[in-house]
Amino acid sequence: MSKQKQVKTGWGISYGEMVSREFVKIRLNVVCLVFIIFLFAAAVLAPFLANDKPFVIRVDGELHFPIFKNLRASDYSVFLAAVVGVVQVLLIRRNRGRVDPSIRGAVLWRQVCISSLVIFTGVILSFVFVPRRLDATDYKGMVASGKATDAIFAPIPYGYGRTDLRFREQPPSREHWLGTDDVGSDVLCRLIHGSRISLSVGFVAVGISSIIGILVGAILGYFGGSVDFVGMRIVEIMMAIPTFFLIITIVAFFPRSLLNIMIIIGITSWTGNARFIRAEFFKLRKQDFVQAAVSLGLPLRSILFRHMLPNGIAPVLVNATFGIAGAIFIEAALSYLGFGVAPPTPSWGQMLSLGVSTTGRFLWWLTLFPGLAIFLTVMAYNLVGEGLRDAIDPRLRKAA
Amino acid sequence: MSEDGILLSIKGLSVSFFTEEGVAKAVQGVSFSIRQGKTFALVGESGCGKSVTALSIMRLVPSPPGEIVGGEITFGQRDLLSLSDKRMRSIRGNKIAMIFQEPMTSLNPVYTVGEQIVEAIRLHQRKSTSQAWSDAIEMLRKVGIADAERRAWEYPHQMSGGMRQRVMLAMAVSCEPSLLIADEPTTALDVTIQAQILDLLDKLQEQNGMSILLITHDLSVVAERADDIAVMYASRIVEMSKSRLLFVEPLHPYTQGLLRSVPRLGFSGKRLQMISGTVPEPLHFPSGCKFHPRCPIGCGDKRCQSVEPELREVRPGRCVACWHAPGYETEGERKSLMVGLCPHPTEL
Repeated sequence: MSKQKQVKTGWGISYGEMVSREFVKIRLNVVCLVFIIFLFAAAVLAPFLANDKPFVIRVDGELHFPIFKNLRASDYSVFLAAVVGVVQVLLIRRNRGRVDPSIRGAVLWRQVCISSLVIFTGVILSFVFVPRRLDATDYKGMVASGKATDAIFAPIPYGYGRTDLRFREQPPSREHWLGTDDVGSDVLCRLIHGSRISLSVGFVAVGISSIIGILVGAILGYFGGSVDFVGMRIVEIMMAIPTFFLIITIVAFFPRSLLNIMIIIGITSWTGNARFIRAEFFKLRKQDFVQAAVSLGLPLRSILFRHMLPNGIAPVLVNATFGIAGAIFIEAALSYLGFGVAPPTPSWGQMLSLGVSTTGRFLWWLTLFPGLAIFLTVMAYNLVGEGLRDAIDPRLRKAA
Repeated sequence: MSEDGILLSIKGLSVSFFTEEGVAKAVQGVSFSIRQGKTFALVGESGCGKSVTALSIMRLVPSPPGEIVGGEITFGQRDLLSLSDKRMRSIRGNKIAMIFQEPMTSLNPVYTVGEQIVEAIRLHQRKSTSQAWSDAIEMLRKVGIADAERRAWEYPHQMSGGMRQRVMLAMAVSCEPSLLIADEPTTALDVTIQAQILDLLDKLQEQNGMSILLITHDLSVVAERADDIAVMYASRIVEMSKSRLLFVEPLHPYTQGLLRSVPRLGFSGKRLQMISGTVPEPLHFPSGCKFHPRCPIGCGDKRCQSVEPELREVRPGRCVACWHAPGYETEGERKSLMVGLCPHPTEL
C-alpha cells in the first residue's frame, strides 16, 4: 500500500491538479461549486422532483407507472448523459491513482469514445422507442374521487405545463410552496424545470463562443502582422455593436426556440475570448518552448492547440464561467422581454415578467423567487470564476 | 552526405529585418561549412547575428519582420531555402535538431518531460506509444538522468536547469539528427553544469556521429571542443580558422581584443584589457570595416573607414577580413577564388 502511494507521488502533479488544490482551499469556492452541482442535479432530475404524474398508482387493482410513461425522449437523453458524465469523472479519478501515465491518455481516450458511443446510441434509441405521448389524465382527481389508490407523487405534485384557473395568482401556501402564476401553475415546479433552460443556455452559448473565440484568437495571435491587423478590426467592429440589441433584433426574425437563442448568444459573445487568446498567443509564440516545438518539426495544428492553447487557456476558462453567468442573464432578460422561449416551456426570466399581472396586482412571489434563482446562479458562477482565476494565477494568489 | 565530408554549407547568407525604423541587416554574406561529425563554433557578442544564422538554417527567422534576402544553405544535397514548408518540417527535429539557451523555458510546462520526448520520437518515427516510451526513458538515461523511469513522469518545473537542458538534449537527439544546433546551450547554467553538458554533447556526438553547430559568446567553451571556429562581428564573419591556431595567433584585431579580455589563471594583478566602445546597432552600422571605430589599428586608416574587407584566406586554414592582417593583400588576393567566400579548411 505504502509502496503504491510512493509511486503515485512520483508521477508528478499536473497543472490541473495544482489549480484544483488551490481552488478547493477557499471555502466559498467549494460552496458555490456545490450549489452549481446541486442546481445541475435538480435540472437533471426535474421530472422526478416536480411532476403531476405519480410514480406509482393503483387503478382498478392494477399498478401503473405514469411518470415513466410520460418521460420524453429528451428526458431520457439527459439522464443518460448525466450518468455517463458522472461515470466518466469517477473513472478519471480512478485512473489517476492506478493507471500507468504512459497509457493513461489512451485509456481515457478509449473511455471517452465508449461513453460518446453510449450516449449517441442511447439518444437515438430513446427517440425511436419513446414516442411522445400526451397523458392528460387527472391522476390527482382520480385519487380524490377514490378511483385510484396507493398513489406516490413527486415531492412537488404539479406539472409545469398544467394550468389550473381555480388557483390563479395565489401567494405561497401549503399546497403551492412558492405560490402560483397567472394561469395557476406552481411556481416552484416551473422554477425547477426552468433551471434546465438556464443551465443549458449558459453551457451551449459559452461553448459556441469559446470555440469561435479560441479559433479566431489563436490564428490572430500566432500569425500576427497583417492577419492580426485585419482580424482585430473585424473583432472591434463586432465589439462596437451593442450585443444585446443585436440579439433582440436577430431573435425577432427567427422562430422562438431555445436552440436559436443559444446560438445567437454564442455567436455574438466570442470577441472577448478571441482577444484573450490573441493576447496570450502573442506572449506565448515568443516563448522558447513554442520555438522548440517548431524546431522539432511539429505541424501547425499541434503547435497551436496542443502546445500553446493549454498554456493560454486560463483566461478563457475564467471568462467562460463569467460567460455562463452572462448568458443566463441574457436569456432571462430576453424571456423577460418576451423574446425568449415560448410560454409553456418555463424560463426564469419569463416568470419574472409575470410579477406584475394583467390586473395590475404586484405578485411579489413571482418576482422574488425567480429573481433569487437568477441572482444566486449568476453569483455562484461569478464566484467560481473568480476563485478559478485566483487559483490559476500564482501572482494573484500570493498577493491575496 | 556530400562527397567531401561536408554536411551543411552556407553561401553568402544575408538576413534582414524590416522594421519601422529601417532595415536592420542582421546577417550579411555569411559563408561557412560544417563538416560531418565535427563541431563548428560560431562565436560573437550578443546581437552580432549568430543566432539569426542558426535560425536561418532551421528557417525559423521570425517573419515578418525578418527575411532571408540572399544566399543558399545546402544540407546534404538539398537547398533548405527552397524546400516546401512540409518538406522543411520533416527535416526539422528529424535531420536538424536545435537546443536553446534557456532550459527553464524551452520545455512545455503542461506536459511531463516523458510526454514531450515521446511526441518528438513519434513525430518522425513510426513507433508504437509503448516503444516510444521505452526509447524516451532510454534517451533520458543516456543523457545522464538518474532514475529515468520516474523522472519521465515529472513536469519541467520539478527539475533543475541542468536537468532540463539534459531533457532538451534527449529530445533533440532522440531522432538521431545529423546536425545539432546548440544555441548558447550553457549560458544559463552554472559553470559546473556547463562542463557536464558540454561533455555530454561530446559524448552524444561520438555515439551518433552527428555534427554540432555550437553558438556561443564564451570563448572558453569553444577553446577545447570546436574543430572549426568562426568569429562574427556586426553581422559578418571576421575570422575563421581551426580553433587552436585562432587561439594561438588571432589575426583580426577584434579576435585579439576578445582573447585579451578573457581572464586567465596566473595573470592575476594585471588589469584585463577591454575593447573600447560598444557594438554598433544593426540599424546604424559604420561605413567600411564595421570594427574600425573600435579598432586600435584601423581607426585612422582611410581605407578601413570606406571599404569593407571581405573574408580572404591568408594562410592554409586561416581566413580573416582585415586590411591590416598579415598577408591579407598579397596572399589573400591570389588565393580567394570567390568573392566573399573563404574556402573551408578541409578543402585545402
